[in-house]
Amino acid sequence: MPLILCLFSVFLFFGFSSFLLGESKENIHLKGKALYNGAGSCVACHMPDGQGQPGSVPPLANSDWIKGGTDRSIAIALRGLAGPIRVNGKHYYSAMPPQLLFDNQKLAYILSYVNQAWGNQERVVTEREVAEARERLPQAVYTPQSLLKKFPFDKKLNRKNGTFTPTYDDLITEIIQPIIYRTFMPGASPAAFAVALPGNHYFCWDAGECRLRYIWTKGGFIRNNQVHWASNGKPVAQFNGTPYYRARTTKLLGQTFDQLSKTNNKQPIYDTSQADNFPITIKGIEDKPSYLGYRLINQYPQFRYSLGKYLITELIRTNKDLSGVQRTFSLSPPAPIKFTLTPTEESSISCDQGKMNPDGTLLIKAEDSARFSIFINPKKESN
Amino acid sequence: MRHIIPLLISFLGTTVHASTSPSYSITDIPAPPTKFKNIQVDGLTFLPNGKLVVCLPSGEIFFRDLQSETWELFAQGLHNPLGVLALSNSELIVTQRPELTRVRDLDGDGKADDFEVLTDQFGMSGNYHEFNFTPVLDQKGNYFFALGTGSSGDGVRTITRGVFNERGRPGRMHSSAPYRGCIMKFTSDGKTIPYSYGHRTPNGLGFDLKGNLFVTDNQGDWVGSSKLFHVQKGRFYGHAASLAWKEGFVGTPVDAPTEKLAKMRSRACVVFPHGTMANSPTEVLAISEKANFGPFAGQLLVGEMNQPRIVRVMLEEVDGELQGACVPFIDGSPLGRGCNRMAWAPDGSLFVGQTKHTWAGGQGIQQVSWNGKTPFEIQNMELTSKGFKITFTQPVDQALAKKKENWPFNRYFFEYRRAYGSPRSDETPVEVEKITVSPDATEVDIELTELLAWHIHEVKIENLISKSGEELSNNYIVYTLNRLLANTPPDPLQVKLAQFNTSEKKK
Ligand code: HEC
Repeated sequence: MPLILCLFSVFLFFGFSSFLLGESKENIHLKGKALYNGAGSCVACHMPDGQGQPGSVPPLANSDWIKGGTDRSIAIALRGLAGPIRVNGKHYYSAMPPQLLFDNQKLAYILSYVNQAWGNQERVVTEREVAEARERLPQAVYTPQSLLKKFPFDKKLNRKNGTFTPTYDDLITEIIQPIIYRTFMPGASPAAFAVALPGNHYFCWDAGECRLRYIWTKGGFIRNNQVHWASNGKPVAQFNGTPYYRARTTKLLGQTFDQLSKTNNKQPIYDTSQADNFPITIKGIEDKPSYLGYRLINQYPQFRYSLGKYLITELIRTNKDLSGVQRTFSLSPPAPIKFTLTPTEESSISCDQGKMNPDGTLLIKAEDSARFSIFINPKKESN
Repeated sequence: MRHIIPLLISFLGTTVHASTSPSYSITDIPAPPTKFKNIQVDGLTFLPNGKLVVCLPSGEIFFRDLQSETWELFAQGLHNPLGVLALSNSELIVTQRPELTRVRDLDGDGKADDFEVLTDQFGMSGNYHEFNFTPVLDQKGNYFFALGTGSSGDGVRTITRGVFNERGRPGRMHSSAPYRGCIMKFTSDGKTIPYSYGHRTPNGLGFDLKGNLFVTDNQGDWVGSSKLFHVQKGRFYGHAASLAWKEGFVGTPVDAPTEKLAKMRSRACVVFPHGTMANSPTEVLAISEKANFGPFAGQLLVGEMNQPRIVRVMLEEVDGELQGACVPFIDGSPLGRGCNRMAWAPDGSLFVGQTKHTWAGGQGIQQVSWNGKTPFEIQNMELTSKGFKITFTQPVDQALAKKKENWPFNRYFFEYRRAYGSPRSDETPVEVEKITVSPDATEVDIELTELLAWHIHEVKIENLISKSGEELSNNYIVYTLNRLLANTPPDPLQVKLAQFNTSEKKK
């Protein structure tokens, strides 16, 4: 480029940018923040902390999609985006409508705010840039393909971002019939089940330790699972919700599901021969549970396992009103049981037999042990 | 299944010409109506009632009625079912990642409703490469299945199943969870025991018609080239990692002196030279009496995932051990890549299921049928005191068969070493001394100037046609000469000492 032209374009840049650039960073931040958090604005979906909503709305905080792609963000805001996308390695398959509430100046403030909030480190967006884009960009809502063709990612970000081919699991919205998958689940041994129940309650049951690991409802069923099946088997299934129930064990304390999904460890956190806190204790029985299989009862899985000389079955269904999960147990021969549950802030637990202590222990008498049910429901406010 | 990089390199070395005889035809079978796009075939067999059984990576099992040409879904929810046996029309035995499982339809509605663990008494580190391959059942009611090792392509998961064993963890392919790299036996009285050791990727067990058990293995660390083993109790077949589980073995297997391991190992009865014969051999299927497949009853078929090929294997007992030859058989398009599972249909034709799981391979189901006309093929290759006797399915052109230059023999060996694969070592042409053709012109007796034990002997027969002028469909045959008919020298071990160290450290 000749020197003159070069200087000219620098001049142009500053010239057009003067409006927002003339303001202090704090000012831009404050104005942008107010607009972002206003009624009907981005906040409604992407949330005040920019974290989005697990499973349905991708985050703006530290999103790779924001990086080096201010033009891309402008395009998304102006024209919307619909289709399967990957953001920082997570899958979303949803739609964002064009944001028509804001004029060029307001949108520039919002995008400048998004670019610099929550740890994002992108530049200020000018009114002129938004205006030009509004003029220039085709009218249609962007698909991931059409967007990324025009605004491709930096090579470094390509692996974790982009689009994906939706699979059967991505298209499931409402669960009518139970779905039983065996796959690699985070926070479970490699011998795990992922089950979806009518009413959209999902759970992970670990055959390696004969125990229910966790239940969730928001964010949809597992994703990325078919890649695990059809590829060499490396990927661990993902899900986007936060479990409303998670059984406590002393072996897993506080690790996130992301940490538990790691496959490249030198050694495990623990192996199942060291598993403890088995939720069912029977006096005099020291044996570890042994998984025997499952049967479908009206399509619902009834797991069976032995504990010493005892046989336990566990049928997991949704409640009649679809509000939560019902676990129906039977023990044979009958015996008094101490059952240890894990009370959480997000769920309420009850049982049709025995007495539940606030710490989650439940004492079942021998005569009730042949059939009892435990109910785990998400609390309204958290879900 | 193996690493992708050496696979690609090996393509460059492929020079063999081979093709399917015109006596065989190949038909595509429509894919099962899975809602999960993928139609790789991980398990395939037939029910007693003649329906085809197909297991998909999605964990679904479909039945196909070959008469009405319709599919029905029998079961779902299995974890990579890489092998299936049908005990009855409503009862299957499946190897899935975590278990050997009995899948049954108890209420007779045509859909499986009970998934019973026969055994899960083996470990899983959660490494992707820990496949669970091909259940087979012997006459006495014992099951065998094959456990893949973990790959250096990844580590282990945060929670592993079974006692974690640090001694099995180092090395390229590892065995940190119980019995990875072993052939397992689940006895008729319910015990689960490691039956043989030293396997790397044993993707495919199978019995011959006499009840001998075989398994293939894929080239890689400790496996100079892909192989076929005669599986016998307590034996060690070369891949070090699983020795971590062998009683009496002290220390970290991969750190043991290679010579010590070489002395322990049992040789393969057939080696498939990498690049020319097979790179990823799969299931072993005997050509049974009910097969309608030409004059090869009693021989073995071995699938090859890497290229569109099914290999034929012929064995003989020499000095108390099985050894023998392999030859490409069903070869090249329209056969697809990825031949993984095979079974005989009620009409005696061969059904083949193809898979890949990100390695070189394909997907789909094909039927290979014989039209009843004798193909012009090598029927057998047997060791003689001075060379080999090669039998043909049809009389050969005597003059051409007698020309020494049409029999360019080569011999070499693959090193036993920790490093990945092995070059052909000491490759030398072997001169033909004398050729005798039998009066009916079906047998060619070849005396070599030298016959060296513990060496692979191969020949690409040139210019040979049958008496009636037909071209030989597959001219490349490889005999794994371990033992001689008499005076076999001791196993020279063929280890290369210490040379692995440099490459291993770089990783
Ligand atoms: C009605 C809900 C909704 C509103 C309001 C909304 N978005 Fe989105 N946004 C989404 C969804 C859903 C996606 C993902 C679309 C998909 O799956 O294809 C998305 C994707 C994005 C992306 C790309 C992915 C990422 O995480 O970085 C950006 C950037 C973005 N939105 C910015 C904004 C901005 C800026 C606003 C406000 C001006 C806004 N959105 C308003 C729902 C919304």
